[in-house]
Amino acid sequence: MKYFIKILFAVFTIFAFNSLAFAEEKIPVFPTTPVEVYTIYTSLAVFWLAIIGLIVVIKMKLKEIERIQKLGIDKEDANAPLLD
Amino acid sequence: MIWLKCKNWIEERYDIAELKKLAKSKLVPQHHYDFLYYTGGITLFLFILQFITGMLLAFYYIPHVDFAYESIIDIVTKINMGWFFRGVHHWGAQLCIVFVFIHLFGTLLVKSYRKPREFLWVTGFILLVISIFFGLSGYLMLWDERAFAAVRVATGGAGNLPVIGSFIKIFLRGGTDVTGDTLTRFYAFHVAILPVLSLLLIGLHVLLVQYHGMSVPVSVEKKQKEGEPFFPNVFYKDMMIWLIVLGIVVTLAIFLPPEIGNKADALAPPPEGIKPEWYFLFMLETLKLFPGTIYGFNGETIAIVCVTIGIIFFFLIPFIDRKSNKGQKSHLFTIIAVIYVIYFITMTLVGFLS
Repeated sequence: MKYFIKILFAVFTIFAFNSLAFAEEKIPVFPTTPVEVYTIYTSLAVFWLAIIGLIVVIKMKLKEIERIQKLGIDKEDANAPLLD
Repeated sequence: MIWLKCKNWIEERYDIAELKKLAKSKLVPQHHYDFLYYTGGITLFLFILQFITGMLLAFYYIPHVDFAYESIIDIVTKINMGWFFRGVHHWGAQLCIVFVFIHLFGTLLVKSYRKPREFLWVTGFILLVISIFFGLSGYLMLWDERAFAAVRVATGGAGNLPVIGSFIKIFLRGGTDVTGDTLTRFYAFHVAILPVLSLLLIGLHVLLVQYHGMSVPVSVEKKQKEGEPFFPNVFYKDMMIWLIVLGIVVTLAIFLPPEIGNKADALAPPPEGIKPEWYFLFMLETLKLFPGTIYGFNGETIAIVCVTIGIIFFFLIPFIDRKSNKGQKSHLFTIIAVIYVIYFITMTLVGFLS
């Protein structure tokens, strides 16, 4: 996981500088009105919050699964009596 | 209740329990380099993202020389969220190629290509070529002066290959020069031929991974811990990483929306400081290393032949590296792999900074 965060950060940085170097403001490729810009940035913040929230939920679920796996109670008992 | 009914309906017809059992029994090895396993998953995710955003853009794009450029401006300025989906498609493509390279170089460094996984390497390599051609063909869709010049240079470079060069050039361009025919041809490649080929190859690649299982590097074969179940453990980890990648793509699309230059004009001189896409920079810099003529031969042709030989050797590594195939450590091919990686990164950086 640590390696991944490093790789992702490096890739993000390289591309960020790459694109800035070639930036030429000719055709408006991004909404220009302040209201739209504000809405977009707010939505992005909410989007990231949702991503972080989902990651936390998945991480918690994963920890619980790993705990159960460690206890060895996730496997089906072949000799368990069947209940009607 | 409806959900339960649907579940029962499916389970009566298909053996879902057996599939679940299979997914749970599949183990992913755990070792020092296991982070490399996730690069394949990220690439797959980005491919899916490209398919979705590409389909949305195809609703509005007009693949005609007179309207292509204008249709993109319409997508960006008039269509609701058009600028966003174009940005996501652009950055998704860039990151997809980055991760294909990382995945390929990772495979090369830990020698996952060794027997019996040679065919996995072959399918992966072809997928890299397809990804690059996806990038090039998609770049021309913009039909601005930079895209026009870049495609002219790239197809012209392919034309310098001995014997088959001129056939490739004319086949790609649909004529002797980059024209509206090239745009139509590249559009066909981009939305029909390449997606079908990549879907087939991705399917085959994933199938082969399931068949052979994950490869474990020779150096950590004895040190590896007990395998981790693919489902749900690794699948959940994959999902977390995919979410982060999605967030990065969306952030890049918002903060660095891809620019649009002036409309392509075949008679106008190419714009100053023009550079090909980043994944072609190492080739461009290699061409620059060669003089105009070498012992009376065209230097550019010799450079392209050298690059081609280098790429063919790269492709054939699984069949040449006999030590790895026997399960032994192969220091020579580790050095070769490191040279390839360093050369690619250095030349790309030099091309970018020059």
